[in-house]
Amino acid sequence: MSPKGKAAGKGRGRREKLEDMKKEMDMDDHKLDLKDLEIKYSTSVTKGLSPPAASERLLRDGPNELRPPKGTPEWLKFGRQLAGGLQCLMWVAALICLIAYGVQEGEGQRGSADNLYLAVALIAVVMVTGCFGYYQEFKSTNIIASFKNLVPQQATVIRDGEKLQVNANELVVGDLVEIKGGDRVPADIRVIMAQGCKVDNSSLTGESEPQTRSPECSHESPLETRNIAFFSTMCLEGTALGTVINTGDRTIIGRIASLASGVDNEQTPIAIEIEHFVDIIAGLAILFGATFFVVAMLIGYPFLRAMVFFMAIVVAYVPEGLLATVTVCLSLTAKRLARKNCVVKNLEAVETLGSTSTICSDKTGTLTQNRMTVAHLWFDNHIHSADTTEDQSGQSFDQSSETWTMLSRVIALCNRAQFKPGQDNVPIAKRDVIGDASETALLKFAEASMGPVGTLRDQYPKVLELPFNSSNKFQVSVHAAGERQLLVLKGAPERVLERCSHVLLKGQDLPLDPQWTEAFEGAYAELGGRGERVLGFCSRWLPAGSVAPDQDPEELPALASGLCFSGLVSMIDPPRATVPQAVLKCRTAGIRVIMVTGDHPITAKAIASAVGIISEGSETPEEVAARMRVPLERVDPRQARARVVTGAELAAMTPQDLEGLLRTHPEMVFARTSPQQKLVIVESCQRLGSIVAVTGDGVNDSPALKKADIGVAMGIAGSDAAKNAADMILLDDNFASIVTGVEQGRLIFDNLKKSIAYTLTKNIPELTPYLIYITASIPLPLGCITILFIELCTDIFPSVSLAYERAESDIMHLKPRDPRRDRLVNEPLAAYSYFQIGAIQSFAGFCDYFVAMAQEGWWPEQCLGLRAQWEDPHEQELQDSYGQQWTFWQRRWQQYTCYTVFFISIEMCQVADCLIRKSRRLSLLQQGPCRNRILVLAIVFQVCIGCFLCYCPGMAHIFNFMPIRFQWWFVPMPFGLLILIYDEIRKLGVRRHPGSWWDRELYY
Amino acid sequence: MATLKEKKTCSERMEDFRRFVWNPETKLFMGRTLINWVWISLYYLAFYVVMSGIFALSIYCLMRTVNPYEPDYQDHLKSPGVTLRPDVYGSRGLQIYYNISDNKTWDGLVTTLQTFLTAYTPAAQHLNINCTNDTYFFQDTFDGPNKTKLSCKFTSDMLQNCSGITDPTFGFPEGKPCFIIKMNRIINFLPGNGTAPRVNCTYVGDESSLLEVDYYPVNGTFNLHYFPYYGKKAQPSYSNPLVAVKFLNITRNVEHRILCKVIGAGIISDNVYDPYEGRTLLKNT
Repeated sequence: MSPKGKAAGKGRGRREKLEDMKKEMDMDDHKLDLKDLEIKYSTSVTKGLSPPAASERLLRDGPNELRPPKGTPEWLKFGRQLAGGLQCLMWVAALICLIAYGVQEGEGQRGSADNLYLAVALIAVVMVTGCFGYYQEFKSTNIIASFKNLVPQQATVIRDGEKLQVNANELVVGDLVEIKGGDRVPADIRVIMAQGCKVDNSSLTGESEPQTRSPECSHESPLETRNIAFFSTMCLEGTALGTVINTGDRTIIGRIASLASGVDNEQTPIAIEIEHFVDIIAGLAILFGATFFVVAMLIGYPFLRAMVFFMAIVVAYVPEGLLATVTVCLSLTAKRLARKNCVVKNLEAVETLGSTSTICSDKTGTLTQNRMTVAHLWFDNHIHSADTTEDQSGQSFDQSSETWTMLSRVIALCNRAQFKPGQDNVPIAKRDVIGDASETALLKFAEASMGPVGTLRDQYPKVLELPFNSSNKFQVSVHAAGERQLLVLKGAPERVLERCSHVLLKGQDLPLDPQWTEAFEGAYAELGGRGERVLGFCSRWLPAGSVAPDQDPEELPALASGLCFSGLVSMIDPPRATVPQAVLKCRTAGIRVIMVTGDHPITAKAIASAVGIISEGSETPEEVAARMRVPLERVDPRQARARVVTGAELAAMTPQDLEGLLRTHPEMVFARTSPQQKLVIVESCQRLGSIVAVTGDGVNDSPALKKADIGVAMGIAGSDAAKNAADMILLDDNFASIVTGVEQGRLIFDNLKKSIAYTLTKNIPELTPYLIYITASIPLPLGCITILFIELCTDIFPSVSLAYERAESDIMHLKPRDPRRDRLVNEPLAAYSYFQIGAIQSFAGFCDYFVAMAQEGWWPEQCLGLRAQWEDPHEQELQDSYGQQWTFWQRRWQQYTCYTVFFISIEMCQVADCLIRKSRRLSLLQQGPCRNRILVLAIVFQVCIGCFLCYCPGMAHIFNFMPIRFQWWFVPMPFGLLILIYDEIRKLGVRRHPGSWWDRELYY
Repeated sequence: MATLKEKKTCSERMEDFRRFVWNPETKLFMGRTLINWVWISLYYLAFYVVMSGIFALSIYCLMRTVNPYEPDYQDHLKSPGVTLRPDVYGSRGLQIYYNISDNKTWDGLVTTLQTFLTAYTPAAQHLNINCTNDTYFFQDTFDGPNKTKLSCKFTSDMLQNCSGITDPTFGFPEGKPCFIIKMNRIINFLPGNGTAPRVNCTYVGDESSLLEVDYYPVNGTFNLHYFPYYGKKAQPSYSNPLVAVKFLNITRNVEHRILCKVIGAGIISDNVYDPYEGRTLLKNT
């Protein structure tokens, strides 16, 4: 089987597994009656298990908790850090060094330990950067771990007829547990008894609509039936009693979570880039090595010696410092991002974010504030806007009308939600409330707009109430009001209208008329069309004693007729304030934002329009049809920029259809989608060549998060499974943080390019001395240890400081890079660095070398062909150009002086190189030569290290550095100046003639 | 991304490579059109011509500025190296072994000495003058022919018993071998600060027994009139003065380590890093 086929097979396997999910769930517990259930789990539905039986089962099944996905073992994580593209290159190089060392030892050459040092240094670099990367990963894993609820969850369990509080992880199959509003369901539970129990299954299905739970089996599918409550879902209200049927990883959620670990991680774009780059380096190295191998053979070196030359050249081509540079650059950005609330788990994800071209975003919590808020009111025939900002800083509406007084009273009274005690000093928006989302919104709205609700409720004590239910679709309560009683009712507007005979207008009680009814319909439709949840409010004064506290609440609906309508209130989960701007930024940055939500299409579309995912003026096919008065089928899809697709439509589509849709409509909203469909959407986008970022919080999102090129989990709302699957975590759940991440990612891509160009350049002046040494047999101008000092000591700081370089232009106005064309290391970059700047540096080095040699007594023409005598340890009286006689060690010192001189030359040229790398297009003056303080500091530091190495006593014997004459520092400077001038000319040409031959060949 | 990281089979890779080398549709050779290759080659040619020109100019300027008579700096020639003839190297420096009764083992050594001394025959030294002053021979002007300076004569007969004239076998068969010690030339180097430097040979490690040595010329001194040296260009016929040492009481069949130092002000002989600076160490049996 070809690898391609294998990959496809793997994909199919996973798809099947996903499809299997539903089949796997065919448990029959929901269909059993209680007797069979008791037998199956050998328990009692009244008394529960006996404690010994429970502990026995606990021992058998293990604790009731999700095992963290079999996480990669630590040693493997570390091992992975040692096996990247660059790392492999370094391993191979180290191996070659060891072989070369072995060969030389075998030949009996003493003092050839250079190769050994080199091997040790290479291995050390890989190990140190590996530790660094591992530490980074470890640290962010720790951040994730810190989110975990440290307080163990408690569960109420009945064992032997006694109610106990135990830690939820001690539950076993067959346990009888009690859940109540506000609890997290501690395991998969078959409901035996329930009172008004509602659960929020959003962590499982993505839909946050509360669902009722009751003992009867209402559906074939265990996922749809009412009598099973799932692990980790929230019980919103009511109470229920049930038997535990699955615990830990065997729960539905547990199975989805373990499924995610089956989805293999995609290779990150930067890893691909680095692989591509390693290919280039390896290719060039072998080409160079082979060429000089042939040359050496032709010159007449013995085979073994030529082989050692070959290996040395290959190794010299390996940029030892690059790995450290890349790692440090990425982690600097990761750190910067962490300050902006993006925690990056995997260093490479930093850059992935920069190449993102599509973001599939959740709606709830990411784009919106994740809190229902009163958005609009309709009374006195006017729509009033409420303040929906997160910090209550918005404008309020006119509250002088008497209708408002009545409406607000109804809002406050006909509401079962209440603030948790002891929060008087907390801002209203942040207070904790017991109650469902819309009631909470109304309560907070009332508190914010008319003062303490509690006082009002004390003024009008509640006599009797009938809570909301799905058949009535309204809620009614009766309150004592001194002499009278006040009946207040809220509910679905059409149901409310049915029960009204009057309407309150400017404090006046007027009978309903058709004109008003039309206005009502209009307002209802408009608010509903904005995706808002609309409730109607009405009231009626009753004579005292009409309702007694001990009356059956079911009789209340009969009383509630002929009411007086006070107004409509509409609520929505409003978009976060920063999101529209962030979406706009994405748009200018050429990133497509796709909304994927489990919510209603109308709400989804309304939010999408509000935040700009559907831009102003874009139409959906439905809207086009309505405008042109043609049937929907005849609308040309290309006329509609936007499109809302529901999960049901999506289910009927083939992947090709979906790709077609994604191509036709630039603005897409997916509503009512299931988690599995999210995965399908991600895959389709990827097939179109996009690099996809996906946000998610639920367990169900984890497969999509893993599949995405970069999965972004929510720090606050996110489940642990999602955080585990993600590459990045938004600590503030804010979409705008993603955009910051994109910006940083793009910047680091550009800056990495600069860093790499800087690092690669010096490879040539490090290599040419060796090549000339072989071919022209001059005394070796640059030693191996010196090269290591350049690579791993002096040049690290400037190359890292390039990561702090600011962007040359507004990077958020460019299109995302095309991963197929815009490579990290492209041909012009390599050619320009190696064969132009690198060449100038080599000339500078040789110039300085010959100066140092000539001034000490060895003229250039004598140096040629001198190698054999120069290196003969028995030659104690070698004559220089002046007839002076040198011992072997005196020549050695001279050779070390040459190393140092060459080293200083490279350093001086690298200072110029660092300056030119600050910008790729702008002139150095435009970019500001001193604007990057860290870079200036790094250059100063580099020069200081150079001085230290030269002039610190004792260096000669340890690291082969000699104190050199002061003027030799200045010999390479004209070459440095030449580099600066040449690059300015290059940039000028690139700026003046975009698209020209010059631009194509010399812009990297 | 799935499209990006598709694994390719070997044949597909080869095909891709072939396409890269020559793409018939776009007429691209190695990713460029032929005319483009010509342009880029011309550009690089021009670039390297200019760079080589700059480099050649730099070297030319360098050669114009260096002094042809003496080097600008002698940072590594603080003190002269000292060497020994015959020079037979073992794995650790000079090592000389021979068997008295087997003349094959020392024939080579004798030949080396004789060859070395051919440079010191009167015929070879005829260009040099006889010097008698026992002081430094300073020459501020070019008194020699062809704008050169004069050099003092050193002939092998000054080595008396070790000159190879009276004893062509240099005492090897008697077990009292001669060795010739020579000091490296350094321009303008003035050894001894007015007193002639002399050679002193001792046993190393075995201080109890005293090495009896005959030095030639007397006292084993290098006469001061051979200094200073003015360089190859100024003194083309200069030859280094020599000192011969004859070891008189070497116990046979025992390995000895003998250290010969040149003693004189300005001559460093205790540099741990350079075993041949100001001294020479000999292993002898």
